[in-house]
Amino acid sequence: MKRFLLAILPLAAALIFTVQAQSQVIVIANSGVKASEIGKSDLRDVFTGASTALPGGGSALPVLLKAGTVHEEFLQAYIGKNDTAFRASWRSLVFSGQASMPKSLDSEAAVVEFVARTPGAIGYISKATPHEGVKVLTVR
Amino acid sequence: MKYRTKWAHTLLIGALAVGTGSLSVKAQSLEDLNIQIHGYATQGFLYSSANNIFTTNSSNGSPAWTEAVVNVTAQPEPKLRVGVQARYFMLGNLGNAITLDWASADYKVNDKFGVRFGKVKTPIGLFNEIQDIDPGFIWVFLPQSVYPLESRNSLLTHEGGVVYGTLKLGSTLGKLEYRGFGGDRMLAGNDGYFLYMMEEGLDLPNGISGVTFGGALRWKTPIPGLMIGASDEKDEKWSAPAASSYSVQGVSIPLTGTFTINPLNNYNFFGQYEKNKIMLAAEYNRLPATVPIILSSSVTGSIPSVDKTDQRNWYAMVSYKVSKKLTAGVYDSQQFDHQSSLGPSRYQKDWATTVRYDFNSFLYAKAEEHFVEGTSLNIDPLMNPNGTTTNFKLTALKICVSF
Repeated sequence: MKRFLLAILPLAAALIFTVQAQSQVIVIANSGVKASEIGKSDLRDVFTGASTALPGGGSALPVLLKAGTVHEEFLQAYIGKNDTAFRASWRSLVFSGQASMPKSLDSEAAVVEFVARTPGAIGYISKATPHEGVKVLTVR
Repeated sequence: MKYRTKWAHTLLIGALAVGTGSLSVKAQSLEDLNIQIHGYATQGFLYSSANNIFTTNSSNGSPAWTEAVVNVTAQPEPKLRVGVQARYFMLGNLGNAITLDWASADYKVNDKFGVRFGKVKTPIGLFNEIQDIDPGFIWVFLPQSVYPLESRNSLLTHEGGVVYGTLKLGSTLGKLEYRGFGGDRMLAGNDGYFLYMMEEGLDLPNGISGVTFGGALRWKTPIPGLMIGASDEKDEKWSAPAASSYSVQGVSIPLTGTFTINPLNNYNFFGQYEKNKIMLAAEYNRLPATVPIILSSSVTGSIPSVDKTDQRNWYAMVSYKVSKKLTAGVYDSQQFDHQSSLGPSRYQKDWATTVRYDFNSFLYAKAEEHFVEGTSLNIDPLMNPNGTTTNFKLTALKICVSF
């Protein structure tokens, strides 16, 4: 029993770390967006190009981080893909004429700045990043 | 035919005009236009244990497979998008030219309804719209039974339009994606679709074109990741002038006449399941076609012939993301032509196993091994003058850079 507990300890720690890490990512939207929450499947649809609609009305304009921990955590938590698979699916849409690639920005501050000034924009940052001027959406 | 072709070209020009007009009217700055330029280039290498395949000298190892794509799109307002894509394609003796992939204007009213027109991808089957988009899948070759590389242009695009949308079926029934399309499809006389006929001396100086229309449904079921779909494409009768020659005692007699593709119905059933690291997919396709060719000359009189096919094609595939950068997969692909005479040229069975490694977001490589039985696909007689071998292996390598 003791050996079993020792064996699963790293796994449990990893799970706790993962849950904590995911909870550090927040979804932000332009302050003009009517909704204050978004369903997980609606969020996935917006960020995979399947939908351009925001809850409560209006066109969604997703914005991505180019890379980094927050980007990877967002993809794992809400999209279910890693970065290479995620970008491959977008390339399928772009090169078949079905969509334009979402804007990718270098930093979380740039994401906040873009979302704040762009109607319909929706992005993701870490909870610790200052995000005045944007609305935080609760993911259901 | 000429009227339809003119109409299709008018639509294409209209799409470009809409795009150009919208850019000049709506745009306040270059950033407002949201102009994007993307592209990719691939280089392949083929080696077959027997049979020269895809018009290459693959039995000796061949690098004769290069593609490069570049597109420019603009989105002057959230609902309107315009774009154009060009492609250089070279595969063995095929292509070696730059062509227009697509050029379209897309107006998406909302998630329920959008329209795209110009030269657009034809939305049939599970992968038809992306069958030439190498970065979009892990395979070097999509299953050749349903997506044969040499003749992919016969189904890839049309000049006309697509209406599309997604309907929510309620909280318990999932979503239904629909596509409807119509227009003209055009094939050049030297397209791979006509490869075998070209090698027998048939010439279609103006290519061939005709009306195509159909639709597709994709039900995204309430089970997360599971999609089931079907598509149907109907082509009206296509006809075009044809020429060939007939040899009598060493004297070549020119023949002229008509090449026709009778009305056909091409349908697919498919399903896909994606969950975390695993992807499963399967598709069935049936494509019956009757191609009467009537050639004549004052010496020979009329020489009619009819080429009939009834292809029943299917595949099943699975892929698994081994790590962030490495994905592996395997598929079984089978094609049978029920109109063909008995023998290995009637069918092809292909077990393929593949790996794709993404070095970073811009560079990846693929390696694939095929275990093939049958010679019905992609093996032309001219490249195999000493005959063909029923069972053979094919190794395919590919490297791609994209931006």
